[in-house]
Amino acid sequence: MIPHGIEVLWEQRDAMLAGFLTTFAIATAAAVCAGLLGLMLFALLISRVRAVALALAWLVDLMRCVPFMLFCYLIYYGLPSFGIVIGNLMAGIIALTIYNAAYIAELLRGGYMALPREGIEAGSAFGFHSWRLLLHIILPQVLLSSIPMLGNQMVQIIKDSAFLVIIAVQELTFAANEIQATYYVPFASFVCAMLLYWVLCLAVEGGVRAVLTMAEARR
Amino acid sequence: MTAFSLTRRGVLLGSAAALTMTAAAKAATLAEIKKRGYMTVATEDDFRPFEFTKDGKPTGYDQELLEMFKTKAGFEIRQDIIPWTGILPGVTTGKYDAAVTAVLVTQERMKTLDFCSPVVESVDYYLKRKGDKKIQGIKDLSGLPLGVEAGSAMLKMLPQLDDMLKATGGSLGKIVSYQGYPEAYQDLALGRIDYVVNVWLSLQTIAKEKPDTFEVGEAVSKPTYIAWPLLKGNTELLALMNEFLLGARKDGSMYALQKKYFDTTYEHMPEAPTANV
Amino acid sequence: MGNGDYLALAAGAANTIAVSVLAIAIGTPLGLGLALIRWGQIRGLDSVVAALVSLLRATPAVTLVLLVYFALPTIGLELPRFAAGVATLALGSMAYNCEIWRAALLAFPPDQLDAARAFGMTRGLRLRLVVLPQIARAALPALVNEMTLLIKVSPAVAVIGVIEATRAAVRIGAATYNPIPPFLVALAIYIVVVGAFVATQRMLERRHRAGLFA
Repeated sequence: MIPHGIEVLWEQRDAMLAGFLTTFAIATAAAVCAGLLGLMLFALLISRVRAVALALAWLVDLMRCVPFMLFCYLIYYGLPSFGIVIGNLMAGIIALTIYNAAYIAELLRGGYMALPREGIEAGSAFGFHSWRLLLHIILPQVLLSSIPMLGNQMVQIIKDSAFLVIIAVQELTFAANEIQATYYVPFASFVCAMLLYWVLCLAVEGGVRAVLTMAEARR
Repeated sequence: MTAFSLTRRGVLLGSAAALTMTAAAKAATLAEIKKRGYMTVATEDDFRPFEFTKDGKPTGYDQELLEMFKTKAGFEIRQDIIPWTGILPGVTTGKYDAAVTAVLVTQERMKTLDFCSPVVESVDYYLKRKGDKKIQGIKDLSGLPLGVEAGSAMLKMLPQLDDMLKATGGSLGKIVSYQGYPEAYQDLALGRIDYVVNVWLSLQTIAKEKPDTFEVGEAVSKPTYIAWPLLKGNTELLALMNEFLLGARKDGSMYALQKKYFDTTYEHMPEAPTANV
Repeated sequence: MGNGDYLALAAGAANTIAVSVLAIAIGTPLGLGLALIRWGQIRGLDSVVAALVSLLRATPAVTLVLLVYFALPTIGLELPRFAAGVATLALGSMAYNCEIWRAALLAFPPDQLDAARAFGMTRGLRLRLVVLPQIARAALPALVNEMTLLIKVSPAVAVIGVIEATRAAVRIGAATYNPIPPFLVALAIYIVVVGAFVATQRMLERRHRAGLFA
């Protein structure tokens, strides 16, 4: 059974590779966008204006109650009811971005709450205010302390990208499923997909370790 | 985790996988089925009018034929309703003794599956939005995005449509593969795709259910047959099911069901399944 | 939405809750078991567990559920649909829980262990009376967080045909071409269920910080 499964997989390697690259591309695009959006949401979350901070906190809490798969369906099949029809790839990236931006904003906020007050107060005393305080004093510290958790979030984005199979995005899980449905090799197909996801996540973990060592060296 | 190298991990997992890959589940022969008292079948969850749920109960052309078979079989039939992508792999790996669901007979499939006597004849057609002036005939399909079920024979038969389009100077547009047809129809209504390719019998049903949204176009494939597959070599179970199916033709009950679900009967199907594709 | 639709959604919600609760009940103690294996530093098993946990934590739920339901039967491991869904969610949760329990174990003050050993307690007694009660309290917030993540990933079982809340809502939408109402109902269901767990987690975090635990 092993030889047959591996043989078929090797023949279909282009399809599997295409799926893998699609997953990689989607995850990277979503991670960048979610990171940027998350930063913006974080800035709003710690805003001095109570109304803004509360509204954002409420929205972020709401997002954290929604399963990603439902959110995906909402963006893809729900938005058209309001006249917004987006293609499946775009819808997938948008869903991944918004969903994970909320989590990133929340984890950055956690990092912010854990910062020693003195550093920020000193910065204020030296004349850094509002967005300059944010950019030069708060963000560097928060980002540095959040690196492992941001790495976790990246892994989460990679895993969530598999849900996009339900809106017909031809990523890795879709490729594995189509190969096994056509050539009847479910074990080889899905184990291969699992191993490829593992490779991606190990790469992220390695990246996090590298960044941490660099940060240590700089300190 | 730091002391654990990648290669050691790889070797451990690889050997574990290799050790477990030796045995393959085997579908049960008729004797084994009679001994244990039941047979397992797989059915797709929504492929109208062959199988679908109404008021929470599974129903449809295949379902009613199965109910008739149950009364004649003499053993229990355990039915699993699962998504399409699991059905054929489930039969070839022995998880299910048979798939009682609409499966197009293709030469590729006949290499690993034994098909029962055909239950219906089939041609692929395209479905478009009602009143879509962009599509007046097959040649207008050139370059337009289409929807089809992932891993299906309809997907496999698209090259026939491609040939038709090439003959008029066009070509097949982008193919979107859905996990099931309901999602494809929804996207057609939303405008993400311009046509859906499916067997004529299913398209008739959806066009009847939603006459203001959809209309059926023309044939995009050669005729072929739909039959229930079993794992290759399960000859006695195949013989039992064929006995039932041919009997249903003789006493007219199959044709009555065809009239009920398809508004037409196919009385000249061959007794043995053949593949034109 | 008709009455039949509301019933379908209620049935879906029941499936979501059932599959989640069972997976949590199985995954949490299994995670503890794996964490104890690694903590005990048993030679060969340690590496296998580390590899398994790493692999499971990297696998998306959708991919894993397809593997458990369609691929495992080919090597003789057959599971009916609902059980396959529970097993998948439990496996993923088990891997994350292992790391959570492990973090609590590693943070456990060694002087208590020494004291217990000095009093002549056997390993089993030490574990049961000294270690477990305290790490359970320490790990609780993180464990509850993982439970909410499990519930949010539970729709993955829909791809093998288990009609849980999300799939129920999608099917109604696919038949009526009016997906917003069922989606909103499904959303409400999840907010209630996840909200209950998150509220519990917040309460536990507050009590932990307030030092009501040792």
